[in-house]
Amino acid sequence: MIQLIHLDKTYPAAAGDVVALEDINLTIEDGAIYGIIGLSGAGKSTLVRCINLLEKPTAGQVLVDGEDLTKVKTKRLYEVRRNIGMIFQGFNLLEQRTVEANVRFPLELAKFKKDAAKARVAQLLELVGLSEKAKAYPSQLSGGQKQRVAIARALALSPKYLLCDEATSALDPNTTTAILELLKEINKKLGVTIIVITHEMRVVDSICTDVAVIDQSHIVESGKVADVFAFPQSEIAKQLIIPELIRTVKSAGGNKLRLVFNGEEADTPVVSGLAIECGIAVNILYADTKNIDGKTYGHMVITLPEDEGQAAQVKEYLEKNNVTYKEEI
Amino acid sequence: MQLLANSILIQLFDQNVILLGIWETIYMTVLSTAIAYLFGLPLGIVLIITEKDGLHPIPWLNKTLGFVVNAFRSFPFIILMVAFLPISKALIGTRSGNGAMIIMLIIAATPYVARMVESSLKEVDKGVVEAARSMGASNFQIICKVYLPEAKPSLIVGAVISTITVLGYSAMAGEIGGGGLGKIAITYGYQRFHDDVIWVCVAFTAVIVELIQEGGMLLARKLDHRVRQNSKKSKNKKSICKEKIS
Ligand SMILES: Nc1ncnc2c1ncn2[C@@H]1O[C@H](COP(=O)(O)OP(=O)(O)OP(=O)(O)O)[C@@H](O)[C@H]1O
Ligand SMILES: [Mg+2]
Repeated sequence: MIQLIHLDKTYPAAAGDVVALEDINLTIEDGAIYGIIGLSGAGKSTLVRCINLLEKPTAGQVLVDGEDLTKVKTKRLYEVRRNIGMIFQGFNLLEQRTVEANVRFPLELAKFKKDAAKARVAQLLELVGLSEKAKAYPSQLSGGQKQRVAIARALALSPKYLLCDEATSALDPNTTTAILELLKEINKKLGVTIIVITHEMRVVDSICTDVAVIDQSHIVESGKVADVFAFPQSEIAKQLIIPELIRTVKSAGGNKLRLVFNGEEADTPVVSGLAIECGIAVNILYADTKNIDGKTYGHMVITLPEDEGQAAQVKEYLEKNNVTYKEEI
Repeated sequence: MQLLANSILIQLFDQNVILLGIWETIYMTVLSTAIAYLFGLPLGIVLIITEKDGLHPIPWLNKTLGFVVNAFRSFPFIILMVAFLPISKALIGTRSGNGAMIIMLIIAATPYVARMVESSLKEVDKGVVEAARSMGASNFQIICKVYLPEAKPSLIVGAVISTITVLGYSAMAGEIGGGGLGKIAITYGYQRFHDDVIWVCVAFTAVIVELIQEGGMLLARKLDHRVRQNSKKSKNKKSICKEKIS
């Protein structure tokens, strides 16, 4: 378990100090894929770099399995870091080393025996599907392949945690999907707890179990992805999670209702059901739902009838069908 | 006059003076550059790791070293040489000859080399250093396993430039009784008005410079894996084919 307690980070600067993080409190349970999402400059990179003490927090505690890393000796910190892999937006491979030598790098640092290292490298390249590229140099690889090498390298010492700072931001959508799948597989198969920094919704959406939203140096909300996504509280979370919904709804007048589908509703098309069962026609202002295994997920915004009786009828119908709704968007 | 000049040049060749000059130039240059690296390389590394965003920032040390290095580099070599000859006297008991010259060259080249090394190491991607740190690498490991190997091609280019600079300095050897092509050019060519001797010395110096330059660059390119070697090779092949066709 990783816990950040009252964490502050301030960068001193001539033109006044820059506050990058302020009173960050976060608990990351083992086995989670924890997303940290925020706009550029929010402090995401600083936050993740504080977890392995690449950046020394100005105040507060970083507890990794109960050990406060802000207090440990340098030697011990090196050991702890071997238990926390990290991958980056820019891959950060050693350009003068082959793929296999890159993956071997952390093993060399940890003074592995040659044979053991060789076997481990082969195993890791197999895991990320790059066995054939063992002798290639990073400059001969595509972005997706480079990130696979970086992942293999980060996993070389069998870490319990993996930090990903915008690991897919430099990749195209298809490659992003493939890398995210790989991360998911690593989480499932190897039980690695993964912390994912991103500004992209879809990354959180597709792999994370938990999410924290960071804005202007503060965590503004956090929780299970399903909960945060269904009912984003903060303005910034809404903008990140349902940007188009917010935009569409703001430009429309009248009473509105936001429906949230999280796969637990009765399997009936709601809008046509309303028309048929209640005889009430509602306007759909916005809909972004998807169907997975016959279940519906996503958001929909409808206009409420002006008539209060009819409006109550609509809500009643929704409750009957287990559809969660919210009046203030 | 013409005949006399020719005969002096021929004499210089016959008595192996030119050959000795070439040899002296090469060994003074190579030896002083090598020893300058012995001091300059660690100095360059210290400059890199003690800087503000370095692995181990020590601002006062960095500033002091930087100041000293710059001070040395701002002297023209000939002034530096005159100023520091007493050191040679103290170290090897003489202010003249090849030994004194080599010591002067080392003093002049070390700060130069330190800056060369510093600028090569600066090219190493900060992200890669950060990745190594995230894997629990110690600062020493980062220097040995990240900075130096990653900067290798650039370090070689730097060494080529340093060597050529030292070669240029060594031409002033004649002034303090050191040997080499520079001395021959000055004593036989300049002071006795034999232009042909000067030109022969210049030509040999140019050849040496060219050899160091080409050899070094070739090595640097060979060892650099950042370039896309495949596409480069195939490009070359293609252009050769084109030439053949046309
Ligand atoms: N080394 C530094 N020195 C001074 N200020 C810094 C430093 N690193 C980051 N900052 C500042 O801290 C704030 C947070 O930066 P950070 O890199 O954590 O943002 P981010 O959320 O990762 O942004 P992005 O999505 O653009 O990567 C910014 O205002 C940035 O200018
Ligand atoms: Mg960032």
